[in-house]
Amino acid sequence: MVRAESVTRSSKTALITGITGQDGGYLAALLLEKDYTVHGMIRPTADIGGSRIETLMHAYPGRVDLHAADLTDTSSLAALMDKSEPDEVYHLAGQSHIQVSFDLPEYTGETTALGTLRLLEVIRRRHKPVRFYQAATSEIFGEPEEVPQTEHTPFHPVNPYAAAKLYAFSLAGVYRRAYGLHASNGILFNHESPFRGPNFVTRKIARAAAEAGAGSTEGVALGNLEARRDWGFAGDYVEGMYLIVQADEADDYVIATGESHSVREFCERAFARVGLDYRDHVHQDPAFFRPVDITETRGDATKARQRLGWTPRVTFDQLVDMMVDAEIERIGHHGR
Amino acid sequence: MGDKTALITGITGQDGAYLAELLLNKGYSVHGIKRRASLFNSQRVDHLYEDPHMPGVRFRMHYGDMTDATNLIRIVQETQPDEIYNLAAQSHVQVSFETAEYTANADALGALRLLEAIRILGLEKKTRFYQASTSEMFGLVQEVPQRETTPFYPRSPYAAAKVYAYWICVNYREAYGLHVSNGILFNHESPLRGETFVTRKITRAAARIALGLQSDLYLGNLDSLRDWGHARDFCRAMHLMLQQDEPDDYVIATGEQHSVREFVSRSFAEIGIALAFQGAGLDEIGVIADLDPQLLARARNDEGTGGAEHADVESLSPGQALVRVDPRYFRPTEVTTLLGDATKARQKLGWSPAVPFGELVHEMVWSDVDEARQDMVVKAGGFRVRESRE
Repeated sequence: MVRAESVTRSSKTALITGITGQDGGYLAALLLEKDYTVHGMIRPTADIGGSRIETLMHAYPGRVDLHAADLTDTSSLAALMDKSEPDEVYHLAGQSHIQVSFDLPEYTGETTALGTLRLLEVIRRRHKPVRFYQAATSEIFGEPEEVPQTEHTPFHPVNPYAAAKLYAFSLAGVYRRAYGLHASNGILFNHESPFRGPNFVTRKIARAAAEAGAGSTEGVALGNLEARRDWGFAGDYVEGMYLIVQADEADDYVIATGESHSVREFCERAFARVGLDYRDHVHQDPAFFRPVDITETRGDATKARQRLGWTPRVTFDQLVDMMVDAEIERIGHHGR
Repeated sequence: MGDKTALITGITGQDGAYLAELLLNKGYSVHGIKRRASLFNSQRVDHLYEDPHMPGVRFRMHYGDMTDATNLIRIVQETQPDEIYNLAAQSHVQVSFETAEYTANADALGALRLLEAIRILGLEKKTRFYQASTSEMFGLVQEVPQRETTPFYPRSPYAAAKVYAYWICVNYREAYGLHVSNGILFNHESPLRGETFVTRKITRAAARIALGLQSDLYLGNLDSLRDWGHARDFCRAMHLMLQQDEPDDYVIATGEQHSVREFVSRSFAEIGIALAFQGAGLDEIGVIADLDPQLLARARNDEGTGGAEHADVESLSPGQALVRVDPRYFRPTEVTTLLGDATKARQKLGWSPAVPFGELVHEMVWSDVDEARQDMVVKAGGFRVRESRE
């Protein structure tokens, strides 16, 4: 039972795809604390000015290196591996917005599904063994056949994003068994933080609550308020990723809190944080309803707890408060 | 139903040929998509071809590619099909390990591109869609026999791509109300099966060994168990699925299982060679236990090819090894057993297979004997015989 923070310092090299995303930032910070050298893949058009990764580059001079590459370009991925020579690859990049995946299904497949394949192909042809982490997601359970979901729950993806993620999940397993690659899947349930993308529902609610607290009467339109999700804190979840990669045997793990809450509950808590009643500010808008939606996700992370010693620390209430507080601070800093 | 139009991707493949024939017989106009190559690759459907300059032509071919979305949109727009049968795929499991990206692009995203074409063109209400799913998706099987509710466990890049296509089809049915059905077809064979697939490789070798055109046969895992049906039967099921009021997913299988070794024995027995297997694993060999001169003579059809060209055949004698194992044909991860339960298709579609295993082997072997005899004639005429190599 080794908690992430007590592991001894190493001098390993990690490559993180999707380093500019929420999880990429938390994971980079965690690995840098552990003395890793961190390489990040960014898209050729990315602007990292003012981002968290830029802050980390200043905090850890010479230990963070960013490279332009793209998941749709195999030769750029091969060059990326040559430049970074990683011991561990954390593959977090992908078109990860569900609603967007209905509008850009082919691009989602190209990056999320085939992008993973291209990366695995490059890795399996390297001489030095490389450990691979695949960011799988609870979305692959879709409308789940059992609650809570474990590593043995059958998959039933209900959107193009989830279908692409299931392909990537399966392929990591194929490469593990076919080529002996240390390739593991972390089946992460929803995980949020103040750095969640602004178009994700939790971040939308947190910002709306903070703005309402500052006097705004604009309100916020949301999709299905009764949808129940297992929401954890991204900072806890990247520890799960790290522990999965350190395990002797590659395997697949569910990472979840084991609790589910409705979008309505999230609103309730967020607006209560600023002393308001969410019902005065939140309304349902059918435009945000997905063509097919999932009613409840709730994960059972027993395997990760038993084999990796992983448990989440931040509770639901703490998470909502943290997100609302961060939005209040942002408003304070930048005005509205 | 005489006025319907069907679009078949993968028209040049085994299933494409049987399905096109079936639909033409039912009065459909049939459009097929084939890839452009410098060589003709349409042998399987040449007999259906009609001169496009003649009026009333009901069979047309279009150049296209599953990796090209705009091309697919254009073909769907031009043909305005009532039914699309998506049979095109890089369908060779072993090859998918080497061309994993192409396999995913054609098999996984290709299906998505076609579904999107239907939406983009506003054909959601008109066009029904059949997706060629496969028993390979069950991979490391989670229950025996496999049915529609059995969880998938893909073991190859091919299977992973097909699972993606399966789910994207389910998703487009649920999200947009498209009439999309998956046929989860277990292995289905015929004389039109590609020559690199194990069944055809076996029946072809049996025929050619009988006629002295080939000396031995190398195979991979002889213990693999498969549920083998006839492609003609299975194509009937595809059509039935699209005639239902409600789209759905169906397992299509015979419910009978045989090993590769058994397929070999039955094939060689057809042409009078009784095999006995000795040894185990990589050292296992299939040797001639007994010869049936009458059957062999029938295969050689001496009066048909002049009789004098069979010098090599005389060397066939009991104890001789004809079948060997080559680890080259082992897959990095093997799917060892597949057995389907088509109860749902039987009950809801009224479908059942008509051709039993023995008849399938018989038809394939004697068709390959015919081809081998043609080669004998070519050889006797002093010409070189086409040799296909993997």
